[in-house]
Amino acid sequence: MMPTAEETGGMRPENLVWVFGTARTGSSWLSAIMGETGGYSRWHEPLVGHLFGNLYYERAGHRSEDEHFILGGRYRDLWLDTLRRFVLDSAAARFPEVAARDGGYLIIKEPQGSMGAPLLMEALPESRMILLVRDPRDVVASNLDAHKEGTWTADLMRKGGKEKPRSLAESRPDAFVKGQARRYVRDVGNAKNAYDAHGGGKVLVRYEDLRADTLKTMKRIYSTLEIPVKEAELARSVEKHSWEKIPAEQKGEGKFHRKAKPGGWREDLTPEQAEIVEVVAGSLLRELYPVRSTA
Amino acid sequence: MTPRFKQAWRRALRKGASLRSPTRRSSRGIRPENIVWIFGTGRSGSTWLGSMMGGLEGCAMWNEPLVGNLFGNFHYFRVGGRKSGRQYILGEPYKETWLGPMRDLVLGGAAVRFPEVAEDGYLVIKEPNGSIGAPLLMEALPESRMIFLIRDPRDVVASSMYARNEEGWLSGRRDAQRPASKPDRNPNVYVRMRANSYVQQIEKTRQAYRAYGGRKVLVRYEDLRADTLRTMKRIYSTLEVPVEEAELARSVEKHSWENIPEEEKGEGKKRRKAKPGGWREDLSARQAEIVEDITAPLMNEFYPHTATMRGAL
Repeated sequence: MMPTAEETGGMRPENLVWVFGTARTGSSWLSAIMGETGGYSRWHEPLVGHLFGNLYYERAGHRSEDEHFILGGRYRDLWLDTLRRFVLDSAAARFPEVAARDGGYLIIKEPQGSMGAPLLMEALPESRMILLVRDPRDVVASNLDAHKEGTWTADLMRKGGKEKPRSLAESRPDAFVKGQARRYVRDVGNAKNAYDAHGGGKVLVRYEDLRADTLKTMKRIYSTLEIPVKEAELARSVEKHSWEKIPAEQKGEGKFHRKAKPGGWREDLTPEQAEIVEVVAGSLLRELYPVRSTA
Repeated sequence: MTPRFKQAWRRALRKGASLRSPTRRSSRGIRPENIVWIFGTGRSGSTWLGSMMGGLEGCAMWNEPLVGNLFGNFHYFRVGGRKSGRQYILGEPYKETWLGPMRDLVLGGAAVRFPEVAEDGYLVIKEPNGSIGAPLLMEALPESRMIFLIRDPRDVVASSMYARNEEGWLSGRRDAQRPASKPDRNPNVYVRMRANSYVQQIEKTRQAYRAYGGRKVLVRYEDLRADTLRTMKRIYSTLEVPVEEAELARSVEKHSWENIPEEEKGEGKKRRKAKPGGWREDLSARQAEIVEDITAPLMNEFYPHTATMRGAL
């Protein structure tokens, strides 16, 4: 049996808005715009999708029909119920202001948990979903830059008390590109499966459209998801988080905010690397970007 | 029960009660104190031990739910420095919000799978490959009981290597393995990888065992092989689980190495040789050294008198 609102600290599942896709698709930007308008909060990468998705789809994928397996098919309803309560309890504990407020929304930025998107959307069918996609060649190019020596990812690891080991991005860039393209297929592929299966509020957003006309695309997101927003407030948030407002010293090569330029992969990847991505992620590329050119 | 133990036990029960979810207070559930976990690492005799225990009247065995793997692998090895933050789903400041669902996942999963042992029976959860999450599970279920099963790492690595060879009983999972880590392609790389996973699993089991205030017992596979019935009696008495001696003796006999049909044991089979020290025939000198180097602190602690390739530890 699904828990009642009282049992979940009052967090309403229909007021959760998930942002799935994959890393380096502009999800921080999108969720920052949404999370700072009135009545909205942002949950930054809980990784709950990764927690469940990684075991279910990858490490124990061969055991999905085994009745002893904790996430086995025969007892699916039972563990999906636990997953549901797990998310709602955790959300309520962290964001009591959203749970308490009538009409409050929680934006859950979860690109790196997209592998588990089908499980999360099945457990929380009333919640809303944004599938945020970006050209896989730009995603891979962005990751290639991020994992080079001395970049923001090394700073992030240092903050966590670890030194970043030398990455394949430096020693074997083509192998790195192939690995990242596979990761794109895994994350975006699973997020797309969740999107197709989800019967509730959902919207597909291309990063390129968000860059081309941010306010228009944001309005489309809110109207498609049928969630209220004050237009003036949204416009202010869009303006506040625009590329132009980021100080020059905080953007560029090796920075978290790199170039935000759709099609920038042409400058960043070798023709061979672009071809690797097109081969590995070809099916999703054709489906999500049917009119784009290839290497 | 000693007074100190009684005190620790009462603390464990109070902690367990605080984690109990109102939605799961079912009268037909498995009692958490009747759960017996087997942690350690794969290829250490946990199937054998679990079968002997699970085959007794009023007892069942849950074969590798991997619930420890679900939470432990992620929490200890994938999230880095995010544990103390507000955002991460298993963040330390919000422990109560996730230990409860973890407990429910186990108790709810146990109740639907093993209704025959609800209320008064015992459930043995064989979870060697979920040992990475042992500290979290024992914290979520502080009333349950724990067996720390350990085996000489050189025998564990040798057994794993043969299981994953082309003709081994786990060869079906080779597709998911990286080519470089397939034991017959690059045996020394495989040995190193498996020795490292041994350290991860045993260290987490040891961490849980040390921190755990409830009923617990440390068992060496070698002792279980040398005198099975005696070691089994020790397990039951230490865990304070009632058992009829004659029934236990029958179960020990039924599951003994000698009673396994010849065609079900040997090279490439799940039951291979069950021979402590068999690593001398299976590993090269270099491979044995690799294992000894990687697992040295654990060998020192659990096998202090064993001889190594470089002499005594």
